[in-house]
Amino acid sequence: MSGGVKVGDTLPETIIGPFDAPSLARYAEVSGDANPLHLDDAVAAAIGFSAPPVHGMKLLAFFEPMLRAWRGDLVISSLAGKFVQPILRGDTVRLSGRVLRATESEIFVRLIAYGAARAPGIIAEATLRVHPSLAGEGRAAKPSVAG
Amino acid sequence: MPLEPPLALGPFRLRVDPARAAAYARETGGDGASVPLAYPAVWLAEPSLFSVVSDLCAELDVVPVHESQSFSYDMPLVAGESYDLRVTMSREATPPRLIMAATVATPGGESCARFETLLRLVPRAGLGSAS
Repeated sequence: MSGGVKVGDTLPETIIGPFDAPSLARYAEVSGDANPLHLDDAVAAAIGFSAPPVHGMKLLAFFEPMLRAWRGDLVISSLAGKFVQPILRGDTVRLSGRVLRATESEIFVRLIAYGAARAPGIIAEATLRVHPSLAGEGRAAKPSVAG
Repeated sequence: MPLEPPLALGPFRLRVDPARAAAYARETGGDGASVPLAYPAVWLAEPSLFSVVSDLCAELDVVPVHESQSFSYDMPLVAGESYDLRVTMSREATPPRLIMAATVATPGGESCARFETLLRLVPRAGLGSAS
């Protein structure tokens, strides 16, 4: 579909962080999520973490600019994620993405965020569509192999 | 299986504050040119809404742990505009979860977005042994 995107295409890997305490405090303030687990070392330690975990929502939201940098001509119609393992303050975070399905009308991308642990911290997905102003103008490419 | 009938909350008339949307974008890697897709998450912290969650957690002696989040859009939100937020809150027993399903519409009733928040309800007593 759009611009020759094919099943199996990978998005350029994006590295974010590491996030420090002031960064988590700023996110807490702007989001209203002031859960002390993310802000207080003692609370995090009581639960068994070596450092407070970064807000999952903060990390999930970082996929949007990653997707826009990859294909700014497409509209992101959905974004969803499961927070499967905490990513801790001080971790460098690696964001990856891979196209799982590409049809005439939409692209479905699997997104994963990795912290210091080998296992994924967030497993996410996004759906992208052709911008309405471009639909029907011959800007969409031929369909790729549907997954 | 739901524990009890879902609780309907709202509508809440909420505005996308341009300065807050720009700050949210800055903290999540965006350029602030548009309202971030994840911005409606800030509305969950509205006292009128979050007080229901915090009261329930206090009653059950549990801590809410954010398990998953989704956003689905019909049209983008616009900074400075107001929207009506409706939330349906339901509980599941196994595993213990609170599910908040929200719709966002224009004041005229046009659908803009839906989002769903899953909170795992973790017994406060068991947190000390979590890894």
